[in-house]
Amino acid sequence: MRGGMNRVAAICWKEWRTVVDTPLGYVVAIAFLLASGFFFASNLFLIGQADMRGYFAVMPLLLMFFIPAMSMRALADEQRSGTFELMATMPIRTIDIVTGKFLALMLQISLLVLMTLFYPLTLSLIGNLDSGQIAAAYLAMLLLAGCYIAICLYASAVTDHAVVAYVVGFGILLALFLLMQTLPTLSPNLQDLLTNLTPLSHYQSMLRGVISLGDLVSLLAVTVLFLTLTWFQLERRRWR
Amino acid sequence: MIQANQLSRKYGEQFAVEDLSFHVRKGEVMGLLGPNGAGKSTTMKMLTCFLPPSSGEASIDGVSLQDSMAVRRKIGYLPENAPSYSDLDVQSHLKFVGAMHGLADATLEDRIREMSEQCGLEHVLHRRIDELSKGFRQRVGLAASMLHDPDCLIFDEPTTGLDPNQIVEIRHLIRRLGEKKTVLLSSHVLPEVEAVCDRMMIIDQGKLQVMGTSQELSRQAHGEALLHVIFKASAEMVFMKLKEKLPDIEVELKENDTPHSYAIHHPDPESPLAETLFHTAVSCEAVVLEMRSGQATLEDVFRELTGGNQ
Repeated sequence: MRGGMNRVAAICWKEWRTVVDTPLGYVVAIAFLLASGFFFASNLFLIGQADMRGYFAVMPLLLMFFIPAMSMRALADEQRSGTFELMATMPIRTIDIVTGKFLALMLQISLLVLMTLFYPLTLSLIGNLDSGQIAAAYLAMLLLAGCYIAICLYASAVTDHAVVAYVVGFGILLALFLLMQTLPTLSPNLQDLLTNLTPLSHYQSMLRGVISLGDLVSLLAVTVLFLTLTWFQLERRRWR
Repeated sequence: MIQANQLSRKYGEQFAVEDLSFHVRKGEVMGLLGPNGAGKSTTMKMLTCFLPPSSGEASIDGVSLQDSMAVRRKIGYLPENAPSYSDLDVQSHLKFVGAMHGLADATLEDRIREMSEQCGLEHVLHRRIDELSKGFRQRVGLAASMLHDPDCLIFDEPTTGLDPNQIVEIRHLIRRLGEKKTVLLSSHVLPEVEAVCDRMMIIDQGKLQVMGTSQELSRQAHGEALLHVIFKASAEMVFMKLKEKLPDIEVELKENDTPHSYAIHHPDPESPLAETLFHTAVSCEAVVLEMRSGQATLEDVFRELTGGNQ
């Protein structure tokens, strides 16, 4: 088991090196911070609201664009360049590969998201912020990011092309987003069912500042579901 | 060390490898030869537990491929084109591969030092892999495959795309490795296999055609007597007389070579072809400038077994 942990850590470390050694990582980070800064500032200065609700409402959209870009290469590139064969013929379990890749991406997104803590800290200087609500919102954001990463990792596992992985990942996230928009037009029973299934609805419910077990479990379940699908997809390409 | 029993792999309905059985002894360098698409890579992918065989079985050092994790620990594998993480520098790549094999940090540093010395990577350890030449990338792949000091090495076309100097270096390296380890390497370059391997097998369309040392293989293809001869002037007379004594001969004029140069074939390898030709030439007063017996090269064996010049 300890060997497994070390290997997971080694994959995380390798992914991290790849991000900090290439310009793409910095480009994505700067673009993310600029975009999130824009949404925060427009809310504050244009609308004149000293709260974060508008900001948290658009964050899923931002994640929807950025997470596929950050995850698209994770497995597609490995398969395309042949390094997957290298990795798959080393004594490492597929579950370690999936976990390592997921944690590496989670670490990168978490860093970006935590950097935006600068905004609520600034706001707390000029107004009264409900720190509990902010904490819940950030937790929700990280959980939602986890879901999105798992979905995009799966997209990256089904193809050898990073661009196709982006399109598939973004497509699934967009479909989930559009599903949320059409919910009010559906019958109440269907509405209830789909509300439970879409990660975004749990995110929005957590934004109210209430952390319910149902929301937590649902967001985690979607993450685990897509990580399992990713595992399954890789296992098919690999021997046991 | 490596034992394969009726190993087969199908892609759809097509066999990529069919009923392949062979044995590689401990400490032996075995060459796997065949034209492109013969099933060399598929065979190696099965032996390294990347692709499951459709049927048959194999074992590495007595461990069945079914126990894939244990097999992976025993082998060092260099896939075709030596894939590596091109965004990383050489040292980071080797560290990553070592960590994947579960090497502890202290051991890993020693091993990286040893392997980079052995593969001539000392001066490029801190260079990014995508900045390196193909030869260096190949060496990175070789170093990575040996980090965990496996007893059995499997190299898929280790010298493809290298320049002649690099090829010689890599061959030397493999030869050195072969002194202590069991090596299975694939290639479609015959001189390479002849230079490096103790034994070789030729496969075509997924099937084993022949296996043995290069001498054994040459002997197998040497099914006829062959004589190359150059006369000073036209030798029609000599051949007419020769045909009276040895009616089965076949004379082939080698027009692209020197003038009056011929290859003479006789189906029976034991026939006194050279002797008879000598006496006939003397009786006709034809001057022989050069006469040598032809020997089937490995190239002839290869072409004969893998369907000519496809």
